[in-house]
Amino acid sequence: MSATMLETTTESPPEPVQTKSLLQRFISRPEFGPFVLLVAEIIIFTLLSPDGSFISVLNISNTLAFTVELGFIALAMTLLMTSGEIDLSVGSVFGFSAVIMWTIYNSGAASLEVGFIIALALAALIGFVNGWFVTKLKIPSFLVTLGMLLIVRGTALFITDGFPQRTWEAGDLWLANLIVGDFRSGDLRVYMTLFWFILFAAVFGYVLTQTKAGNWIFASGGNASAAKARGVRVSRTKISLFILTAVMAGFAGIASSIRTSAANPNSGTGYELEVIAMVVIGGTALTGGRGTIIGTVLGMFILRLMRNGIVMIGVPALAYNIFIGAIILGMMALYAWLERRHNAGT
Amino acid sequence: MTTELIRMENIDKFFGKVQALNNVTFSVNESEIVGLLGDNGAGKSTLIKILSGVLSRSAGEIYFRGQKANIRNAQDAINLGIETIYQDSALVPQLSIARNLFLGREPLKGPRFINRMDQRFMREQVSLLLKQVGISKNIDPSTPITSLSGGERQAIAIARAMFFESDLIVLDEPTNNLGVEETQGVLRFLKNARDTGHSCIFIAHNIYHVFQVVDRMVVLRRGKKVCDVNPKFTTIEEVEKIITGLIDKPDDPRAVEFAA
Repeated sequence: MSATMLETTTESPPEPVQTKSLLQRFISRPEFGPFVLLVAEIIIFTLLSPDGSFISVLNISNTLAFTVELGFIALAMTLLMTSGEIDLSVGSVFGFSAVIMWTIYNSGAASLEVGFIIALALAALIGFVNGWFVTKLKIPSFLVTLGMLLIVRGTALFITDGFPQRTWEAGDLWLANLIVGDFRSGDLRVYMTLFWFILFAAVFGYVLTQTKAGNWIFASGGNASAAKARGVRVSRTKISLFILTAVMAGFAGIASSIRTSAANPNSGTGYELEVIAMVVIGGTALTGGRGTIIGTVLGMFILRLMRNGIVMIGVPALAYNIFIGAIILGMMALYAWLERRHNAGT
Repeated sequence: MTTELIRMENIDKFFGKVQALNNVTFSVNESEIVGLLGDNGAGKSTLIKILSGVLSRSAGEIYFRGQKANIRNAQDAINLGIETIYQDSALVPQLSIARNLFLGREPLKGPRFINRMDQRFMREQVSLLLKQVGISKNIDPSTPITSLSGGERQAIAIARAMFFESDLIVLDEPTNNLGVEETQGVLRFLKNARDTGHSCIFIAHNIYHVFQVVDRMVVLRRGKKVCDVNPKFTTIEEVEKIITGLIDKPDDPRAVEFAA
């Protein structure tokens, strides 16, 4: 019998659920590590930045605007990675969808609403193709989506001749307002995307932890053959998540293009790695079977605040990647250690 | 008392030109534990895989409660009430006991389209089941499978088969890699399953384990059934000799009486 089992038998009273203190339960949560890291980061940057400007309203609202756009992708990627797959094409879809929508609109071929729907439908198709190759042809998702990354980026560059699309007519359109309309109050500027993000985070978190779909996502990533033997539709689950991820990447790209008034076929380059870093720092396993939306939200802020904070305390921005790399390695070492401790003796 | 639950009749299985099973007839009664014995390559796994729908048979028929059963895939077997528990592929290690137990058949509550799991019901059922299967100590239903010992994992898989009213539980080497105490635990779970009306097929290399729980043993040798043996009228040494081919049946005629 394992050491851990002996421990639980001797130490846990008859009703372990109720007797564990709130603090103990909090510490044993997978989100505890990223939470501590985020709090430490905020404290350090606030103390080191001039006049505590790091925690200022202006800085917070600036940071939020772009963070939540990446966050749309990170939320979907969390579910996808929990199911044991990965999508490297999200950065390309981010750029591609915005380009498609604005190209359609600017050419006068259709309204912005129609362009929006077509762009998201194409994103869904990209996701479906990814999922189909992965589940039916049994090709690793890393390779499938790497190919898709190049195809989608290439298409975006080809149809635009490499030039950015105009977006400045967007200001008064209801759809643009619905997606990224903003509210100001003094220094505080909040975009609608923040509310979308909160909504998506709540829904995805609920699905993952409370629903049958969530159980299937975990099982598909944890042990696909056991899941199949129990009647779980593993392929269907994974294909749905590929579609969801691509659509969320498209939505993020469109939101970003409206906010910055630019739809550049090159935008989104490298976002896939930043998003994956957010997800794994938050505690979702690259190998599948373990995932947390709360962790991803924490991971997002850890990365984005780091980028913002080191600039504010005067570290050269070019050194940013050194810190991010160190955080990723540190968090992975922590998880590996926790995992070993967890599995000791079994 | 002995109603036949399942009968595999004149089963042949060829892999190309190699004959893995030769005219094997094998049956299990209700509330009976049958030990399936044989050396490596005797055909035990092949026979079980045919029963659980993983492999197709080359010839022969399968009857379930007297009715001809058409088992084409694993789902057919599960629908009939045949649950096969393989050592490592039965559970999702990262998920909790409760989530594993109900995987694929999650109880739901609330509006249908949300598919919300009834987690409270799941937890309550798990606590009850773990007692029923014979785990005496208190394990939190939200414990992930990775924190459980090998014996406890077998117990969870057996509990799941019992909960979903599987009539026949097939265990492939359930006591492999288990310690002495845990092996006793698994054997106890098996007895509990039988005493609550389930039948079991127990495949094992270790004859000592089989001897302790089975009502009957079936020995296969090079794809053929050698005999049915009643453990009450034979010895472990004798069964070993039958498996290796030194003798073909036990000395005591009572040991093979029911086989006729």
